[in-house]
Amino acid sequence: MTGQFFGRRVKRIDELAQDLPPGRDLWPAISAGIAQAIEAEKGASAPTVASSAGRYYWRPASALAAAVALVAVGMWIGRAMTLPSGDGMVASTPGAAENGAALIPTAWQRDEKYREQRNALLVEVQVRLQAMPAAERDKVGASLATLRRSIGEIEAALGRDPANALLQELLVNSCQEEMRALTAVRDAGSQES
Amino acid sequence: MRVFKNHRHAISLLACAVPIAALAGGGSIDRTVVAAANGEVVISNVSGTIDVRGWDRNEVQVIGHLGDDVERLDVESGGSRTFVKVVLPRGNSHDGEAVIEVRVPKASSVEVSAVSADVSSHGVLGTQRLKSVSGEITADIAGDESEVKSVSGDVTVRGSGKPLSLRMSSVSGNLDLLNAAGKLDVVTVSGDARVTMGEASEVRGRTTSGEFELRAKLTPDGRVDLEGVSGDMTLRLSAPGGLSTEIESFSGDIEGCLADNVERVSKYGPGVRLNVRAAETGGARVRAKTLSGSIDICDR
Repeated sequence: MTGQFFGRRVKRIDELAQDLPPGRDLWPAISAGIAQAIEAEKGASAPTVASSAGRYYWRPASALAAAVALVAVGMWIGRAMTLPSGDGMVASTPGAAENGAALIPTAWQRDEKYREQRNALLVEVQVRLQAMPAAERDKVGASLATLRRSIGEIEAALGRDPANALLQELLVNSCQEEMRALTAVRDAGSQES
Repeated sequence: MRVFKNHRHAISLLACAVPIAALAGGGSIDRTVVAAANGEVVISNVSGTIDVRGWDRNEVQVIGHLGDDVERLDVESGGSRTFVKVVLPRGNSHDGEAVIEVRVPKASSVEVSAVSADVSSHGVLGTQRLKSVSGEITADIAGDESEVKSVSGDVTVRGSGKPLSLRMSSVSGNLDLLNAAGKLDVVTVSGDARVTMGEASEVRGRTTSGEFELRAKLTPDGRVDLEGVSGDMTLRLSAPGGLSTEIESFSGDIEGCLADNVERVSKYGPGVRLNVRAAETGGARVRAKTLSGSIDICDR
C-alpha cells in the first residue's frame, strides 16, 4: 500500500497519515443536501398533519410500553436466575445450607454436577478396566481416550469459533456419548453376579 | 388350607424349578423345560459360547458342556419366563467357561447377557436383546424393538428384510448390519459401522472416530441423521422422490456425486456444507454433521 508516501511501502496501519485534508470542502454540499431533505419532508407531510400529529402523540406511549415490557422481562429473567427458595436450591458447600448462606441455584451447578458424576463414573470404570483382560482393557481404554481427545478437539475448535452451532452441538453430543460409553463400560459384566 | 391356597402358585413354581436347577459341576448338559410359545427366555453365561436357536416346540432345551470351574447351570421356568443361567463360584467370576446351545420357541423374546462369551442367535422371531462385553455377537434379527450391545466385541447382525426397529451400540467393536429395513439406531465410539438396508424409514447414527458406511433405499419420507467427530462417512442413499440434504463438516471434506453443490459455510472461516433440495417436496431427508471427518455421499 502506498499513498502520499509514494515510493515508500506502508507496513502498519498507524503509519498512515492521520490528518490528510480532503481535496475540497465537503460541508456545503452536505448542508445543502440536509436542507433539501427537510424541505421535501415538510412538503410531503403537509396534507396529513393530523395523522402525523397522531403519530407523535403515540410515541411517548410506545416508549412507555417498551420500557414496561423491558422491566417485566428483566424481572422474569431475574426470578428465573435467582430461584429464591425451594427445591431448586443446593448448598454450594457441605453445611452451607445450615448456615443459611452460600446457596446457589442448581442451574448454575450443572457443570459442577456433571464433573462430579463423571469423576465418580471414572473411578468405577477404572475398577472395571482393571478387571478386564489386558488386550480388552487396552482396546476399550483406547476408545475412551479417543472420546476424550475428540471432546478436547471440539473444545479447542470452539475456542476459536465460540458461536459455531455445529461445534456446540457436537460438544454436547460428545459429552453425552462419553457418559454413555463410560456407563456401558462400568456396567459391563454386571450380569456375572 | 387357606395358607396353602395363598401360596399355591409359589409352590408350583418351586416344584417346577428345583429339580431343573439341581445340575451341579462340570460336564455335559441336556435339560428341557416346558415354555410358552411366545414367552421370554433370559440367558446368561460369562465365558464360552451361547448359541440360541428358534424351534417349533414349546420347550426350552439347553445342551452343551460346562467347564470344571462352573458351579452349576440353573434352568428355571415360571409363567411366561424361562431363565438359563451359568452360575460360577463366588469370587471366581471369569474363569468358568460353558458352551451352551439353547433352543427356544421361535416366537420367544430372548435376552442374552455375556461377558467374554461369544453369542449367536438364529431362527428367533421375537424381540432380542443381546449384550456382550468382549465376546462377538452374530445374530439373525426379525423381532421389532430389538437391541444389540457390545463393549469391545464385534457385532454382525442380519435382518429379515422386513421393517423393524433395531438399536446397535458398541464402544470399540465393529458393527455390521445386513438386510435390515425400518428404523435403525447405531452408536459406536471407535468401532466401524457398516450398514446395508432395504427400505429404511429412519436411520440415526453416531460415531466418534470409527468409519460409518450406510447403504440404504430410503422410503419417500425417510430420514437419516448422522453425526461424527473424526470418523469418515460413506453414504449411498436413494429415495423415490430424491434426497434433501443438510450436510456439514467443520474441517473435513464433502465428496461424492453430489459434491458439485458443496459450498463454504462462511467466506473467511472453516467449514463446508451441502444443502440440496429433493425434486419432490416432502421427500427423504439426510442430515450428517462431522467435525473433521470427510463425508462421501451419492444418491446413485
